[in-house]
Amino acid sequence: MKKNILVIGGGPAGLEAASNLRRLGHNVILIEKEKQLGGHLAKWDRLFPDGVSAKQTLDALKSKMVGVNCFMETQIQSLNVLDRSYNAILSNGITVLADAVLLASGFDLFKARKKEEYGYGIYEGVITNADLEEAFRLGRLPEKKPQAIGFVHCVGSRDEKAGNPACSKVCCATAVKQACEIKEVYPDADVYCFYMDLRMFGRHYEDLYLKAQKQYDIRFIRGRVSEVAETADGRLQVKAEDTLSSRPLRVTLDLLVLMAGMRPSEDGRKIGKELNLTTEEDGFFSSADNLLDIQKSKLPGVFYAGACTGPKTLPDTLHEARSAALEIDRYLTSDQRQ
Amino acid sequence: MKFLLATISQTVTPEGIIDRYPNSYNHFVLPFVIGITFILVYLFIGLVRIIYHLPSQDRLQLLKSLFIPKTAWKNLKDIFCDCLLHTKIWKRKPLLGYMHSAIAFGWFMLIVLGHLEVALFAPRHLSGLSEGSLYYPIFYRFFIWMNPEHETLRGSVFLFLMDFFLLYVLSGIALAMFKRVRSIALGMRHTTKPSLADRVALYCLWAIFPLRLLAEGFTADLSGGSFLTKPLNWLFRAFFGNELNFLPTWWAYSICLGLFFLAMPFSRYMHILTEPLLILMRNAGLRVRHPRKGFAEAEIYACSSCGLCLDACPMNAQKKNLRYSSVYFIRFLRRHNTRRVNEIANKCLMCGKCATICPVGVNSHAIRQVQRESLNNKLKFNYSYLSDLNSRKDSAKGKVLYFAGCMSHLTPKIIRSVENMLEASGIQYEMLDREGGICCGRPLMLAGKTGAAKSAVAANKKAIEESGCSILLLSCPICLKIFKEEYGLENIEVLHYTQFAERLVKEGRLKLSETEQSIVYHDPCELGRGCGIYDEPRNVLNGIGRLVKAPKERDESICCGLSLGSLTLDEKDRGKIAESCVGNLMAHNPDSIVTACPMCYKALRSKADVPVKDFAEIIVENIAENNN
Repeated sequence: MKKNILVIGGGPAGLEAASNLRRLGHNVILIEKEKQLGGHLAKWDRLFPDGVSAKQTLDALKSKMVGVNCFMETQIQSLNVLDRSYNAILSNGITVLADAVLLASGFDLFKARKKEEYGYGIYEGVITNADLEEAFRLGRLPEKKPQAIGFVHCVGSRDEKAGNPACSKVCCATAVKQACEIKEVYPDADVYCFYMDLRMFGRHYEDLYLKAQKQYDIRFIRGRVSEVAETADGRLQVKAEDTLSSRPLRVTLDLLVLMAGMRPSEDGRKIGKELNLTTEEDGFFSSADNLLDIQKSKLPGVFYAGACTGPKTLPDTLHEARSAALEIDRYLTSDQRQ
Repeated sequence: MKFLLATISQTVTPEGIIDRYPNSYNHFVLPFVIGITFILVYLFIGLVRIIYHLPSQDRLQLLKSLFIPKTAWKNLKDIFCDCLLHTKIWKRKPLLGYMHSAIAFGWFMLIVLGHLEVALFAPRHLSGLSEGSLYYPIFYRFFIWMNPEHETLRGSVFLFLMDFFLLYVLSGIALAMFKRVRSIALGMRHTTKPSLADRVALYCLWAIFPLRLLAEGFTADLSGGSFLTKPLNWLFRAFFGNELNFLPTWWAYSICLGLFFLAMPFSRYMHILTEPLLILMRNAGLRVRHPRKGFAEAEIYACSSCGLCLDACPMNAQKKNLRYSSVYFIRFLRRHNTRRVNEIANKCLMCGKCATICPVGVNSHAIRQVQRESLNNKLKFNYSYLSDLNSRKDSAKGKVLYFAGCMSHLTPKIIRSVENMLEASGIQYEMLDREGGICCGRPLMLAGKTGAAKSAVAANKKAIEESGCSILLLSCPICLKIFKEEYGLENIEVLHYTQFAERLVKEGRLKLSETEQSIVYHDPCELGRGCGIYDEPRNVLNGIGRLVKAPKERDESICCGLSLGSLTLDEKDRGKIAESCVGNLMAHNPDSIVTACPMCYKALRSKADVPVKDFAEIIVENIAENNN
């Protein structure tokens, strides 16, 4: 008899795990709260380090979804632990009796409004990384050419005061990628990156950084931005510290992009509460073991994939999704469950 | 006075009161005499020490103040209300107030009436030490025999009063014993842990009055008594048959008194004797100048270690931080434990709530600041470059000059709202620090870097005075406090935007539309307790929506946790404080929280589920359509 698996979340992790489980011969039901599949990936334009199209990547993931039941705009209403399975009541009225549950609830972007000193939601020229991607994707960049553009790294990550001391992993590379992209659109503009230190850990990331310096003439300033004010003529005055020259610094910009970090998904946490799943201090779910069993939760039959257990890059997320699929398959076909 | 006493003693029949002991002495008085002598000598030395450690101008100021009629009257009033009646505790916790005033005022009346009785009926015994004037009035009932056939009305009034006040004290002692077992019943969640000397003094204090009742009960048939001691005497006689038992009780009574006085200087009960001195010094306008000597020493010994500050301290949102409360700070200062003193001094949020609720009025945050100064003021930096900044001569002549300050710059919405409010009211203004300015100096002051603070103050003062403004407008209470206290700006009115907004509304320059929303207002520490501004923001908010009360508000408002006062408190603890602050504000489920400080605004916003608005923000949202 085919086993039922409920995959919660239709981002890259959910998609990749669902398609793999389907190919392993299971009956997979995937629910997604938004109208479309893809999660944050669907809102992105191009991906680091090579600048491939996010849409093409997403389409490739979706093309493998044949045979998976996808419910869009659907959320979990209640989720109960039964004897050997899980009973989920969905917001569309359907009840699913699942032998295994995969949580792929991902992350929320840090709400940049919380760092009010950067003026997001107050000054027109202040946007987030997600806003810029959307502008690229829809071709809605400001028509008035900006003379100077800044990127602020680590907004709401590595920031104890913002309640998130952890690194979000992807913002450094994203910022450098976006800096190069915007320089391509506005070649005459001065582009600055305000960073604490650059964490270009992946393959080709360092190349991207060097290219940004050599080819695109992006100016990297090591130091945090302290505050943003509006000048009399409506431009943005950014105060920062250049820690390499140990000097306070002030630049006037037209556009400031805040690299909002990753926070645990609020909806994901609600589902976790239904099952009494524990989270670690950072708010992300705690795995059975942080080295050997990242995909396993402390409940038999409940698994994780992707950023619901901490910030991850896209390739990391896809690896995890595949290994979660393997774990679930083993769990359902072995004696473990009996 | 002498004449009066003489006429009174003439009217008393000589046979009425008769000394039972010809030399008016019995060995049992010795413990008391030793105790009282010790405490008097100790007090004298302590007083000389404190006065000696005062700077000479303070000493002169104190001396002068004693002869200014207004201050002298205030001294008397304060000593009577604070030391005896404990009106401050009454107001907050009536039962606790009753307990304290019963013991303090009751005991005081017993002493006064006892001496008066001796002055009237046996004045000889007040005339010198050889006549036993040190102990005779205390043990008067032991030494005399009152002829029941010559009982006078005056005599019985005294007997009645003495019994009445003894009962009054006993009721206070009973409450005090009950409080040890269940402090919450008297309105205290936490109480302090007593030290050894505290315990000795405490148990003696508990024993003194019941023993006095027993002792006077045993002698009531000889010395006379009233509604309390007389029946007791009948009871004793019925049980014990004769009056020979009474000497041991008088011994016990005397020993307890003696022990109490011996333990007193090392216990919390030193506050009874120190508080009057503290009141004199405070009313003379003295300030703390050294964290341990002079005025501070008077404050340290005046602390009654009651622990009311434990419940008040916002850091106790987490119980583990109880040890940073003022009462322990004072205790460690008293014990010269420098390590712990520094630790606590640096941790404090300086919100001032403990000082507000302190029944003795110990300003422990002022001592903390001086303590910090003793550590941090040594750091020398060069601030000479400050004088070149900010100079814009006559830029705001006759206008309002708005100084946003560093913290408002981190919350640009506040700056924008203030500017919108000013524009909507048609106010001509200039902004001093639009492109950045100098710190007002208050955070440096709080950190004990007085020298650095003064450099910042001087630079800002120069720029403000040169601008020619008539009103200096501030949106940050932290700035407000130092601008009011340290700047001494002449002919320039320093106003917080809540004050200015109230004025604009009163003058009709700012019209607001009334809505149905319910609002709770959070009093920022520096604005409320720091500058006494409670009503102005409320008056304006009342015109916008329905103002709901928070259980703790005005001078009992809970710090938001983001105070710049603390040098070492970590983010997590601050978060917990913010949660307890929000919890208090949300007690009556208001639609929004309004505050008037950038730091409070940030802290509350991070924890509240309802919108948190800045005072200017909610004004701008509710400007009436017919405004100008």
